[in-house]
Amino acid sequence: MVSTTVSEVGLDAAAPHAHATHDTNTGISNTKLAMWLFLGSECLLFGGLITTYLIYKEPLAGQGPALADIVDIPFTSTSSFVLLMSSLTMVLAVSAIERGDHHRMRTWTAATAILGATFVAGQVYEFTAFYREGLGFTTSRFSSAFYTLTGFHGVHVTVGLIMLMSLFVLSLRGRLPEHKAETVEVVGLYWHFVDVVWILIFAVVYLIP
Amino acid sequence: MTDSTLLGDSPVPTDVLDGAEEDYSRDLKYVYIAIFLAVVTAVEVMTYVAPDFPGWKWGDGVGLVVVLMVLMAVKFWTVAWYFMHLKFDSRVLTAVFYAGLVLAVCVYLAMMTAFRLWWPESHS
Amino acid sequence: MTTLETGPLALEAGEEEAPSNSLGVLGRPKGGYSWRAWFTTVDHKKIGIMYGGTAIFFFIIGGLEALLIRAQLWAPRGTLLTADQYNQVFTMHGTTMIFLVVMPIGAAFANYLMPLQIGARDVAFPRINAFSYWCFLFGGLFLNTSWFLGGGADGGWFNYAPNNGVVFSPSNGIDFWNIGLLIAGIASLTGAVNLIVTVLNLRAPGMTLMKMPIFTWMTLVTQFLLLFAIPVLTSAQFLLLFDRQFDGNFFNVAKGGEPLLWEHLFWIFGHPEVYLMILPAFGLVSDMLPVFCRKPIFGYPFIVFSGIAIGFMGWGVWAHHMFVSGIGPISVTVFALTTMFIAVPTGVKILNWTATMVGGRIRLATPMLFCIGLVTMFTIGGLSGVTHAVAPADTQQTDTYYIVAHFHYVLFGGAFFGFMGGFYFYWPKVFGYLLNETLGKTNFWLMFVGFNLTFGPMHVLGLNGMSRRTYTYDPGYGFELWNKIATIGAFLLAASIALFIFNIFYSKVKAKHLPAPGPDPWDARTIEWMIPSPVPEYNFDPVPTITTLDEFWYRKYGETEDGRLVQIATAEEVAQSAEGEHDVHLPSPSYWPIVTAFGLPIIGYGLLYTWWLSLVGGIITAAGIYGWAFEPPDDPEGAHGHEDHDDHHPDDDGDHTDATDDATPELAEAEGDKEVETVG
Repeated sequence: MVSTTVSEVGLDAAAPHAHATHDTNTGISNTKLAMWLFLGSECLLFGGLITTYLIYKEPLAGQGPALADIVDIPFTSTSSFVLLMSSLTMVLAVSAIERGDHHRMRTWTAATAILGATFVAGQVYEFTAFYREGLGFTTSRFSSAFYTLTGFHGVHVTVGLIMLMSLFVLSLRGRLPEHKAETVEVVGLYWHFVDVVWILIFAVVYLIP
Repeated sequence: MTDSTLLGDSPVPTDVLDGAEEDYSRDLKYVYIAIFLAVVTAVEVMTYVAPDFPGWKWGDGVGLVVVLMVLMAVKFWTVAWYFMHLKFDSRVLTAVFYAGLVLAVCVYLAMMTAFRLWWPESHS
Repeated sequence: MTTLETGPLALEAGEEEAPSNSLGVLGRPKGGYSWRAWFTTVDHKKIGIMYGGTAIFFFIIGGLEALLIRAQLWAPRGTLLTADQYNQVFTMHGTTMIFLVVMPIGAAFANYLMPLQIGARDVAFPRINAFSYWCFLFGGLFLNTSWFLGGGADGGWFNYAPNNGVVFSPSNGIDFWNIGLLIAGIASLTGAVNLIVTVLNLRAPGMTLMKMPIFTWMTLVTQFLLLFAIPVLTSAQFLLLFDRQFDGNFFNVAKGGEPLLWEHLFWIFGHPEVYLMILPAFGLVSDMLPVFCRKPIFGYPFIVFSGIAIGFMGWGVWAHHMFVSGIGPISVTVFALTTMFIAVPTGVKILNWTATMVGGRIRLATPMLFCIGLVTMFTIGGLSGVTHAVAPADTQQTDTYYIVAHFHYVLFGGAFFGFMGGFYFYWPKVFGYLLNETLGKTNFWLMFVGFNLTFGPMHVLGLNGMSRRTYTYDPGYGFELWNKIATIGAFLLAASIALFIFNIFYSKVKAKHLPAPGPDPWDARTIEWMIPSPVPEYNFDPVPTITTLDEFWYRKYGETEDGRLVQIATAEEVAQSAEGEHDVHLPSPSYWPIVTAFGLPIIGYGLLYTWWLSLVGGIITAAGIYGWAFEPPDDPEGAHGHEDHDDHHPDDDGDHTDATDDATPELAEAEGDKEVETVG
């Protein structure tokens, strides 16, 4: 059995109790390892959808608008910025619970959820605007690929919102004590990943001509 | 496991008082990282606002793609390494995540090549 | 039995958790062996048995489909099946055998055996383990209800576009295929995460990675392959789902859809898929051969690293399934080269197995016969595989029976023979009685002869031009004799399976008059053989400390200076006893995995028939997740034993996951995300 002290493993010295080793062979908790494995697999899922999008990004002539015709980069940039900042609030929430500050944890978690919800609202607005400009799901191969990729991402964000709200409620009910900080951390990992996927989508779909 | 349990269920965790500066400096580091990410995003948006800027207007459009890919990778790596704490965690987690990421990149790049996405003429 | 009270999510001494939400309605159920116990079990051993039993059930269905194929092809212009029926039968045969038989048998062995081989109490996430099994069962049943609801899928197990669209396949068959496999895919993905965490985190003290049995290593590689391959299939399946259900344009040629997109995505999954089907059998054989040769496996590190190499290289060869799809000469050349290279690590294994046998004191018990069967039959299949790698030759071979011969030699002669050996070998450990040796040997020879009669001639048929996936053939091509032989062989195979089933019941009856096999009937090497047969619920007590590879063997035997074996202790002396008090914490059973899984096929039916069903299914699944998340972590009425010798505790899922409202039309997308809710 691998047993190491915190200092041996060279962990973030500012958060000694957040990353204590567990009595597992690797020293990593089961849940955290599981989440990272899952995120690794999600790379393959989103990779497939992104590749599909890249192959289909040009609609055939006469089959509805291309992205350049309808996209609103300033709007989407703002949306992306909002999601990016939600990663900051998420990491502050984790930091708060690691030092036992439950009130701040709830504040930052709520902030993350609000920013995430703003992002989703922005997506919904964007999709409705596109739809009104003639881009339905069935309009062209580009439209199907675009809505599927961004839709999948949006659903992942929504699932993340539900997890965040659950954390908030659990904390309110006193069921998220300090030594369960890892729960928040693991939800945070998922949330950051969802943000990272958007970083990819924003560059690859919106910015690259 | 934690210092706070020495005092049982105290309403004010002692480590907030003892390590407050450490914790807040750590939080401040996160804010700095977020500002960095915001700046990188701003540069990305600049490529749209000012497409003729010589920093990315080269290589007949290739320059733009390269710059955007680099900026995207920088943001990706920053979030993963710092916000997701990969830098400070066991190498096993890094290995597991990178395995999926590298595999996805290689396999899908190969697939895109099979679709001749890089060739200037339209693919079949 | 109570749940663990330690581990990263447990309470510190003296700290009270706030009273739990009593919306965790039902208390945790009790364990035991009653009917209800099987529905609520989270015990990896029971789950492994269920995987195996269900797989055998589907094997019989897939086998009947195979017999229909062979009967139809007995003579030219057969009239048993119409062309359309034939398409359904061969599609469902392939789909069933791959997804509902070979993969689940691998899962059965992985679930039952791997935790025992590493000295663990259970897997890392016992409730997710149960959920995986129920997803597999419901997905497989859902797929097969297609027979009663408009016909089975009919596009081949690989379902190429645009044939898989509603224009060319209007019946719901392919939808059942798609949605059924999406549900089963959830099983595979969650299982993969679970088993990887188990192997990495829950090994007994002293068991480093290079002291693990080879089956455990192969399981680890297999689960990584699953983890990364299933999402690729999932993305392809969602594209198909959206095309068929919502008029998407992914494979709509009129709107610029690319049929090759499906092929690439499918085979990027499909090739790692075949490696994950064979690796568990390779692992079983690698652990069995040394027992029946009384020699350690030759070149343990080579077997491990070649397994890992196969895992890596398997990702670089997928387009060898697409040599004639018009991908162009450069792609073809690249993939032909990579395919040739991948023969190397497999060749390394064959060499090592052979070297293990050479110079060993071989006992030809039934499991050993099947091991030798795998080594020889897989070699034949591998050799025909190498001929496929030569792309110009493959241009003639593809879509003929030569390919059918190849993959049946590696899948049946390879994977299934390995599994049969594993069944005979592990039967006493799991069920507490040995299968009859005479019947077993007869079983082997009947299966061996039947198998070769069925698939051997297909090499000839294929090279002579008989086309596969075609419901009949014309007379006068010289196909008649070989087809008749193949059909006879198929019925012999069926007889051999019937004999196996008979052996199970016969041996059980006879066992009443025979002495119990005890913990170690084969004089084996790995630690699962040092616990009682059948395995007690708590597995090990105490958890052994591992000092070497083949730990159990070296507790029984030492070596003299000139390398001769000398017995230090008998198996009975070393093995753990079932007697006495065993105060061990085990994860409590739970209703929620089966409830959560049950909603998924209902969502599927809703996608095909009416949104209201999807709503109902979504509510059931959401209720399941909610109940799961808020389930009390321990059974309040269970005994509170003291913490004993457990070094490693499976993390039973804490109470921190979410409640999901899935009652929206985006259920199709939400389906793929279910794994998110359940893993947390």
